[in-house]
Amino acid sequence: MKKLSTLVLLIALVGVVSTVTAAPSWKPTKTIEIIAPANPGGGWDMLARVVQKSLMDEKLVEKNIIVVNKPGGGGSVGWTYLKGKKGQGEFLAATSTLIMLNQLLGTSELTYKDFSPIAMLQAEWIAVAVAADSPYKDIKGLMEALKANPASIPVGVGPSLGNNDHLVFLQLAKAYGIDPSKVKFIVYPGAGGEIVPALLGGHIKATVIGLAEVLEQHKAGKMRVLGTSADKELDFLPGVKPFVEQGTDLVFPHWRGLIAAPGLSPEQIAYWDDVFAKMVQTKTWKEQIANLGWSNFYQNSATHTKYLADQTKVFDELLTSVGLKK
Amino acid sequence: MQDIFSNLALGLQTAMTWTNILWVVIGGSLGTIIGMLPGLGPATGVAVLIPITFGMNPATALITMCAVYYGAMFGGSRASIMINVPGDASAIVSCFDGYQMTKQGRAGPALAISAIASFIGGMIGMVFLVFLTQPIAAAALKFGPAEMFSLLLFALVATITLSEGNLLKGLIAIAFGLMLSTIGIDGMTGIIRFTYGVESLNDGIDFLVIIIGVYAVTEVYKNFKDTNAVYKLDSKSIGKVWISREDWRRSWKPMLRNSPLGFIIGVLPGMGGSIATFMSYALEKNLSKRPEEFGKGAIEGLAAPEASNNACSCGAMVPLLTLGIPGSGTTAVMLGALMMLGVKPGPTLFTDHPEIAWGVIASMLIGNIILIIINLPLAIPLVQILRVPTRIMLPIIMGLALIGTFFLNYSSFDFIIVMIAGIIGYMFSKLEIPLPPLVLALILGGAFEQNLRNSMVLSDGNISIFFQKPISVVFLVLAAGTLVYALLRRKKHAA
Repeated sequence: MKKLSTLVLLIALVGVVSTVTAAPSWKPTKTIEIIAPANPGGGWDMLARVVQKSLMDEKLVEKNIIVVNKPGGGGSVGWTYLKGKKGQGEFLAATSTLIMLNQLLGTSELTYKDFSPIAMLQAEWIAVAVAADSPYKDIKGLMEALKANPASIPVGVGPSLGNNDHLVFLQLAKAYGIDPSKVKFIVYPGAGGEIVPALLGGHIKATVIGLAEVLEQHKAGKMRVLGTSADKELDFLPGVKPFVEQGTDLVFPHWRGLIAAPGLSPEQIAYWDDVFAKMVQTKTWKEQIANLGWSNFYQNSATHTKYLADQTKVFDELLTSVGLKK
Repeated sequence: MQDIFSNLALGLQTAMTWTNILWVVIGGSLGTIIGMLPGLGPATGVAVLIPITFGMNPATALITMCAVYYGAMFGGSRASIMINVPGDASAIVSCFDGYQMTKQGRAGPALAISAIASFIGGMIGMVFLVFLTQPIAAAALKFGPAEMFSLLLFALVATITLSEGNLLKGLIAIAFGLMLSTIGIDGMTGIIRFTYGVESLNDGIDFLVIIIGVYAVTEVYKNFKDTNAVYKLDSKSIGKVWISREDWRRSWKPMLRNSPLGFIIGVLPGMGGSIATFMSYALEKNLSKRPEEFGKGAIEGLAAPEASNNACSCGAMVPLLTLGIPGSGTTAVMLGALMMLGVKPGPTLFTDHPEIAWGVIASMLIGNIILIIINLPLAIPLVQILRVPTRIMLPIIMGLALIGTFFLNYSSFDFIIVMIAGIIGYMFSKLEIPLPPLVLALILGGAFEQNLRNSMVLSDGNISIFFQKPISVVFLVLAAGTLVYALLRRKKHAA
């Protein structure tokens, strides 16, 4: 009897395992192309290359993978190319919030609806930072000073208004009852490369910027990060509370992910869901993103699609309120 | 002081392994070739290397990327000198006198001085990097929007004074360049300007495409009237690939003067080789006792910008090594590659990873020596290009120009722009309107506008901000002085 039940259990187990590992009904039949819609060296390019390395080193796909750079138009050039590959599951492209913002800001017609969202993979957090000798010790201190005299605190942002960093600061300002149009934003097209020296040189008094760009400055005691858009206090940044723990209900990942060509079949999407669910657990992926200071932030195709829909609404309202929506 | 030498010794120890030296040779040669091709500059060269650096240790990776960077600086002016087609923005100035020297049968000395000046600029830049990195990095922080605006204004004014003939034509060229630079999305308001609904123009016009157009394509158009001509040069008239005592006497001071200038400009965020070379050329022309020889094959007019350019690329390493931020497009690519290798460049790089920071500095020493060894003999086969008949050379130049254009942005729309730019360049040369102010205005226009607007936001629209900052005042006075000086000299000439 006991033997029999073990056998039944074993069969059941085999059954479960085999359904999990069952070969998906679709597989790539040619070289996989990951499009980085930007020049080499940027965030999208690095995501594409880290995914390439992780999938190949961990042997999660059977075909070769190449990364193709197609820069221009805030991603539009590369994405337009992807849009032309209708139904072909071997083409993926890196994305970020720009897939929503471009259309809202009027720089491109493309939205996530023109593609098959595949996954959100990683996130970086956005920081508000001041120089080490600044009188402001936390978000509240900075925001109250800003409210009292907006002209006295120029805030550096780059490469252009309407990006993630800018949106974060607008939301913070709104939460403290500051008229966003009164804030003096100084725009640096060179982003961190120009903002960091401007803050250290005292030309601006605060900045809202990707955490990675100021993290080492903070650790070296040259700048002070007042808060981050993370959901909790970060291990590598002890003592700095996120906005949510400083009284503002604002969690804002600067995420990157992948989209595929439009018109993918459910089998093709299931294949990539399976591959990326495995990839984010691998050692190679974890090591690589740790090197880059990124956090793992995985959403599968279905969750990510819903997220995109919800976020588009939030951004729409925000950009409308500051008059940037086109 | 003691520290510096022991650190440098550590750096040499890192750099002097056979693997690293091999990579310096490979990177340097690759960079030289990439630099020679129109449109392909150091940023592209370094980017191509990223996948290769994956397997390397971080010091080797950075050393290799630096070698490509300097190699491209050495190679960039080769095409300027030989065929009047600059390899990238910082090689434009090398056309002015370099190509004239070639036309006078002095291609050999021109190529030699270009390599020698690059070497000297690189070595002086390296010495600055070793001893003055911290104070210069601190001084660069004093440059805010107002200071940047005044510096750019000075650079543009200095370029107008370079134009032969009348100042008005220089102004026309500048105005046209500034107008072109406003095309595309405005980062401050999100408004799309002057694209007339053409989506490919949303990112603006890439200045490198314009450079290829107004130099390479224009050169082809100009030569089409006489396609059977051969550059009639025998090996004697090309000249030895070395310089005479007289050449050296005229060049050594300009090289020494302009290396520090180039270095300092390289340290400033957002400023690069193009502005350094233009300013060096303007400086030398204004200091020279023989300004009328500039643009007609004056060897110091080639030596000064070459030295300045290489020192500038050393200067661009300062923000990367001291602050962990990119000082130029090329160092931005390097930064990305380093992060992927697990090195987090930042203010603590010198203390956390001295072997990397100092290894890179030491590799510059080795790299410069290796590059001059590669580049001087390379000039001998290179001058043979001049024997190629024009009817074969022109299609080759056209082909290289179009390949270079495509590799910049992978955009076929740029083909249209490059051809139109060629026609504009041809018209400009027929009307004797100088091209350099046009190109410089296009390169700097975006930063010029942005710094003006940022200054205005900071001062609530009060223009006195430019007169309250000492550094800004210095540049404004220099700009005014340059203009007055140019006018007076012209008047004297006319009299």
